[in-house]
Amino acid sequence: MRQKKLVYYGKKCLIFLISVFILSVAVFYVARLAPGDPLISYYGDRTEKMSPEEREWAMEKLGLNEPISVQYVKWVKNAFHGEFGISFKYKQNVLEVIGGRIGNTLVLGGIGFIIMFAGALLLGILCAWYENRLADRILCKLGTISSCIPEFWMALVLILIFSVNLKILPSSGAYSTGNAGNFGDRVLHLIMPLTIIVMEHLWYYAYMIRNKILEEVRADYVLLAKAKGLNKKKLMFRHCVRNVMPAYLSIMAIAVPHILGGTYVVESVFSYPGIGALSYESARYHDYNLLMLLCMISGILVIFCNIVSQTINEQIDPRMKDEVITEKSEVVEG
Amino acid sequence: MEHLLEVKNLSVSIDGPAGEVRAVRDVSFSLKKGEVLAIVGESGCGKSVLCKSIMKLLPPSAKIKEGSICVNGQDITCYREKEMQKLRGRVFSMIFQDPMTSLNPTIKIGKQIGEAVVIHNKNYTKEQVNKKVLELMELVGISHPKERYHQYPWQFSGGMRQRCVMAIALAADPDILFADEPTTALDVTIQAQILDLLREIQMKLGTATILVSHDLGVVARVADRVAVMYAGKIVEIGTAEEVYYDPRHPYTWGLMRSLPAFANGKESLYTIPGMPPTLIDPPKGDAFACRNEYALNIDYEEMPPMFKITDTHYAATWLLDPRAPQIKSPMGGIVHE
Repeated sequence: MRQKKLVYYGKKCLIFLISVFILSVAVFYVARLAPGDPLISYYGDRTEKMSPEEREWAMEKLGLNEPISVQYVKWVKNAFHGEFGISFKYKQNVLEVIGGRIGNTLVLGGIGFIIMFAGALLLGILCAWYENRLADRILCKLGTISSCIPEFWMALVLILIFSVNLKILPSSGAYSTGNAGNFGDRVLHLIMPLTIIVMEHLWYYAYMIRNKILEEVRADYVLLAKAKGLNKKKLMFRHCVRNVMPAYLSIMAIAVPHILGGTYVVESVFSYPGIGALSYESARYHDYNLLMLLCMISGILVIFCNIVSQTINEQIDPRMKDEVITEKSEVVEG
Repeated sequence: MEHLLEVKNLSVSIDGPAGEVRAVRDVSFSLKKGEVLAIVGESGCGKSVLCKSIMKLLPPSAKIKEGSICVNGQDITCYREKEMQKLRGRVFSMIFQDPMTSLNPTIKIGKQIGEAVVIHNKNYTKEQVNKKVLELMELVGISHPKERYHQYPWQFSGGMRQRCVMAIALAADPDILFADEPTTALDVTIQAQILDLLREIQMKLGTATILVSHDLGVVARVADRVAVMYAGKIVEIGTAEEVYYDPRHPYTWGLMRSLPAFANGKESLYTIPGMPPTLIDPPKGDAFACRNEYALNIDYEEMPPMFKITDTHYAATWLLDPRAPQIKSPMGGIVHE
């Protein structure tokens, strides 16, 4: 049994490593094959005035003249030593560039993620509980409206109301000047971006939970559970919500990149110093090393989340483990 | 003797997109302690709706229009969900048609049965619940209950699942067990086993049972009394002997004649001509009239009342009226003297 577990987790790790490898190759090639001039990000406007010789020299210096496969092997070798090169634009080690910003994004995205999914679950259960009654209908309408509002517009409206008119919330940044490290100040700065991130996706997932639960409520096993005298609360939480959870967890994992992408818009509207804006810049200006590391970070996050969600699924609903079916399901007929 | 269950003039309607479906129309019957009553009829005649309406398991679109349901002398017609929860499981319980879908796929069998035990025995310790679950699993004939306790529904075959469903239904020793076509989704050899088990348990525990089926052959094996339903109404009710050996309603004749046993070497089986009427706007008079070769003119005009044949045997057909012409039943015997 022990050994089986080991093999099981070993397999997962192997899948993880293979996925990461494929991802790195793909990103590396696509970035370099995409049209555009990487020198612009390093030399800025000067690039246009460069002679072909100078260009050649600059390309050589940045190591961009070699075949892509050679470049890739070099990159991997360095990566294993913890060296991811310098950012063309910031002329700094990419780790430092990202390190200064990633914390902010993780705080914003992470807290938003937790609030959103917890809220969506509660809201979904609430709606399913009062199916087609007043509370459900009002929530459904409000939800549809809220999810139709584009996030950048909503962000501007919030800034207008709370920063410009009421002057109770700061409109941008992570800290006010001179207040770095102040926890209360930090929280104040997070309120509006978080609201936007949560509101943008909340109803989408809440509605999905609502409908999934309603599907479960109509299943035959609910009738049997009712016939044995189970009350609605236990029926809802022990049976229906439980059966919805595997799907929800996988969706949570799949939603990670969405939230990550969502934070970008929010980050730029609120001038929030995170990696969202950084990713956009690096892709646009061919800042290869920075782009590579950012893609690897988000890619690894997504792959990791997917594998975790699959593992959780298998624990909750053992039918998902395909090998078990063939092993244990010989039918005994008495 | 006190009736365990008494249904009087029950009418149930379901609101559908095409209009109000009058699924159960003016049905009356009663059930004694420890008795097996079979309800037979073709698909869509309201058998399941009748059972589910007694347990109030129908969707909110279904409403009891008229009539009353008494359990143990208590009128439960107006009971709300909260009050019904206390009755379900303990007073009456139900086995459903498809054991493949009536168990929660993500919960271990033992836990699902245990849950049913706990609901009505809240002060049981873990060991007591476990013991009761294993007893129940043994009662319904699940071998190796200790090992199977920890298995999931998909690791069981159809017949075994139906046994689990029975164990759940019997967990709180209900007085009445509704078995809604418990063998329809199973293959024939398993059908017989499940029916025998049903009978055996019923004998052992004395649980009054209402067995819903569209198969007269199935019913003959276990029923004490038989009610024949057609288009939402009970058209004939009597003891099993009476209904099988002396059927009076032309619809019952039709059902009997379509049994393979009655084909007697003929090339094809008998079928009742036509289709059952829709229950959205049921026909005036006897709903069976247009498929009935013995129909009288009055059948198209007025609904026949229940004619008493013996103390236990009733049938709703105008053929039993003293003014009706003498007709020889195709099953042998005449309809009324």
